Amino acid sequence: MINAIRAELIKMRSMPGVWVTFGLAFPLTVLVILGVLASAGGFPGHTFYFAQTLRQQRQLLGAGYFGIEVLAPIVGVLCVTSEYRHKTITTTLVLTPVRTRAVAAKVAVTALWSVFIALLTLVAVAAVALPWNAALGGVTSQITDQVGAVVPGLLVSAILLGLFGLGFGTLVKNQVAAILLTIGGTLILESLLVALARAIFQYNLNWLPNAAGAALAGDIARGFGGNGGNGGGGPQGVHLLAWWQGGLVMLLWGLVPLTIGYFTTFRRDVT
Amino acid sequence: MTAGTTTRGLPIEFRGLSKHFGPVLAVDDLSFSVEPGRVTGFLGPNGSGKTTTLRMLLGLVHPTAGTATIGGRNYWDLENPSSTVGAVLEATSFHPARRARTHLRMAARAGGHDDARADEVLELVGLTGDAKRKVGGFSMGMRQRLELATALIGDPDVLILDEPSNGLDPQGIAWLRDFMRYLAGEGRTVLVSSHLLSEMAQTIDDAVIVSFGQLKAQGTLEQITSNLTGLVMRARTPEADRLCAVLTEAHIAFRRLTHDEVAMDSVTPQQVGPLLASHQIVLHELTQEGADLESVFLSLTAGLGFGDVAAHA
Repeated sequence: MINAIRAELIKMRSMPGVWVTFGLAFPLTVLVILGVLASAGGFPGHTFYFAQTLRQQRQLLGAGYFGIEVLAPIVGVLCVTSEYRHKTITTTLVLTPVRTRAVAAKVAVTALWSVFIALLTLVAVAAVALPWNAALGGVTSQITDQVGAVVPGLLVSAILLGLFGLGFGTLVKNQVAAILLTIGGTLILESLLVALARAIFQYNLNWLPNAAGAALAGDIARGFGGNGGNGGGGPQGVHLLAWWQGGLVMLLWGLVPLTIGYFTTFRRDVT
Repeated sequence: MTAGTTTRGLPIEFRGLSKHFGPVLAVDDLSFSVEPGRVTGFLGPNGSGKTTTLRMLLGLVHPTAGTATIGGRNYWDLENPSSTVGAVLEATSFHPARRARTHLRMAARAGGHDDARADEVLELVGLTGDAKRKVGGFSMGMRQRLELATALIGDPDVLILDEPSNGLDPQGIAWLRDFMRYLAGEGRTVLVSSHLLSEMAQTIDDAVIVSFGQLKAQGTLEQITSNLTGLVMRARTPEADRLCAVLTEAHIAFRRLTHDEVAMDSVTPQQVGPLLASHQIVLHELTQEGADLESVFLSLTAGLGFGDVAAHA
């Protein structure tokens, strides 16, 4: 199993697309930081203001969530679709013939890479948000005190969003289509569905991947799209699940497509 | 290269192996064995089930019935597959952005081998100078060599090669031939499928011939070719169409080789001569050939996949 994971790690390392996701994690996080600090003083008013409320402080600390919800699923998609796009699945399964082991290695590496992305967003927060907030007059310890409330949920969300991408990739093996659908689903489709559900059925559609992931990310989400506000995680206006409910729903979003994909893709003949 | 004397190969056994793809029967109750220390050619026309058979051996395709084992075990049950079996299946299965050395390090890690093994096998297949190049820029011949290097990463006891000479230049083919002989000389089991019969005839010790997924012949090269010695007649005539009609009427199996050449199987000059004379067919040449691998192959597979005019004549 360790061997299969080591092989998957080197595969991921040698895929340009994976590095693109890494490259985007930092700037996307900075964009959200910019949004949080621009709105901290309220509109209209100050251009930038330090994070004053608990909600704003947690928003600032979890500014990476927006990047994570877009990029972590793409990492999962890349991990599996590149095998079919370049026919490397043959080599993979010859080298690791026990298919559950091959899939488990992909799960492990996708999770690891998703955590890397989450950590990179935290680096962006440490490098940009904290000094900037302090320069605006904020107290850094007020933000770092929220690490326990924000960071674990952020990391677990990243892992489960990555697994969701992995499962989605096994179902939509075409790499370009899978990436476009992931981005479209994250940025457009889910928000559209949430808005339609609310407008037409007065239904609070809070169990789709991003809303569930945002709920898992806990207090960040409550400040973000969740129950009003602005900035990053989760579709606008949706009342989020409790963090543990969000976690369970995200687990399903990760495992169900992966399980279906395992039986419909990984267990099938490789001709 | 000189062969060693160690015996390190494992036998490969196919028993009652069958595979249906929907209504298509790709492999039909195939049973044969491959011995260590020998190069065994797995021969058959396109679509005869060779690749499917090899993929079933490697667990990539699930058999409908039967077993395919290496040393008595399924491939996926082997403790360290890449140390036991190396497989060359298709020269296109590379990530184009991956460098040759990176690809091999990935394979080495998957098998629990040292990273340094990547450089060793690169040298073995003559790609040391291209180690840092991305595979996307490789020619087909280089990809084939890289695929072979991947197969050799675990220094395996068994080599499974599916059309390994595709894309290789004549020097590459000669090198591959020597290399396979060398590996078999070390006692390893080498099973190679190919459609280059003249090339195979110079390389293999044993042959397994399949057609329509069924076993047609198995044995040493000598055994197989001796079965048809003296039974193949080749005629060159400006009246090839008429000759084909006459042979069809006389129920003699034949193959249209070119516009003016026809090969007849399982007949003697004493049978053919009077027949052609009685129909006043002009002959430019009528020769009796000693059977070679190609004629045996074409006889057993009725020329399928090689411009099978006979079937429609």
